[in-house]
Amino acid sequence: MNPRPLTVVLIVPTGVGALIGGYAGDALPVVRAIAQISDTLITHPNVLNGAQLYWPIPNAVYVEVYALDKFAAGCWGLQPVHQNRIGLILDADIEPDLQLRHLQAVDAARATLGLNITDCVLTDRPLQVELRISQSGASWGTIGNPDSLLRAAEKLIKQARVEAIAVVARFPDDEGSLALENYRRGKGVDPLAGAEAVISHLVVRTFKIPCAHAPALSPLPLDPHLSPRSAAEEIGYTFLPCVLAGLSKAPQLVAPESQQHNQLSITADQVDAVVIPATACGGSAILSLSGRSSVQIIAVGDNKTQMQATPEKLGIKALQVNSYLEAIGVLVAKRAGISPASLGADISSLRCLSD
Amino acid sequence: MTTHFISAEVDLHDTAEELHSAIEIELQKHGEPLRWAVTDVDVDRQKAVVEGYVLVEASPAIA
Repeated sequence: MNPRPLTVVLIVPTGVGALIGGYAGDALPVVRAIAQISDTLITHPNVLNGAQLYWPIPNAVYVEVYALDKFAAGCWGLQPVHQNRIGLILDADIEPDLQLRHLQAVDAARATLGLNITDCVLTDRPLQVELRISQSGASWGTIGNPDSLLRAAEKLIKQARVEAIAVVARFPDDEGSLALENYRRGKGVDPLAGAEAVISHLVVRTFKIPCAHAPALSPLPLDPHLSPRSAAEEIGYTFLPCVLAGLSKAPQLVAPESQQHNQLSITADQVDAVVIPATACGGSAILSLSGRSSVQIIAVGDNKTQMQATPEKLGIKALQVNSYLEAIGVLVAKRAGISPASLGADISSLRCLSD
Repeated sequence: MTTHFISAEVDLHDTAEELHSAIEIELQKHGEPLRWAVTDVDVDRQKAVVEGYVLVEASPAIA
């Protein structure tokens, strides 16, 4: 009999100042390590996107967070693909030279990586992105013309039959701001992340199609004190290559009862474990998956965030570990069928249930 | 169509699934929930502090 495949979900919420994964794709080493001991590792763009940098991981599944929430709730399944036909949306607010930089990044991905990016649409109005920080310290934002974004997506889907959409919106250049200065030092919250999430959520929610976003920004002056965690975003003109690479093999999103759903589809009942920063357990996906008795939630203590939603406060049963290294040990034990508790010095007495 | 940021407090429930439902119901009073998270819990008052975005469809113009 074949052993049950180990399916792991790795979440590092975006825009909450996660010490690991809150910057420029700096949780990628964690993904690479966990992928080694998983059969399938489901994660999201914030974790896998490092602007110019990315890493092809055959068993990692790139799922936008709105879709991940729907997957966790049992509403959508993930249907693997060989390659998606990708369309590009460019915000009309992007200056002509910056547009050209992004189109050249697309051409590079087509010629050098063999990606199937077929069509581009310029939005009919500027998207008008605005950035905010919430009371909890998370970044968020709004777009002034969401209908324009959705019209562009609809055109790509109906006219060009694309299967995944990359969006590039012009984000405000907040050069000189404290938030940006902190981000470049590897501290604080990514000020762009919350607004980026709104953009991709809107497209995924409306069209049920894989989508990811890259911000268009003017190049920043050279900073000799740039943090290694933020450096991936300062080695090129666009953040687009990682998005295109991720979308190329992103799974299609299918309802479990639909005809497209088949034995290759991944559904929430296949999930064995979720790895999450311990203070960020209050998201939709974790609350959904915590209701499944077969799912082991592994809460990582040293990946601190601006959130204060711990498993204890929420009444969620979770295994608390200090680090991702320890989380990987738990997953190895789980795969081997070994109780993590039996690897410690103290083993508690057997509990006797009373009437 | 517009997106709105919402901050709310929701009573803690016995299970995480019930809390999930209660949050969605609370946010739906303001629009269609697009993204949300519990950011903290007031343990003494048994309240979950929630931040999220909702989507509000534009009302048809009144002639």
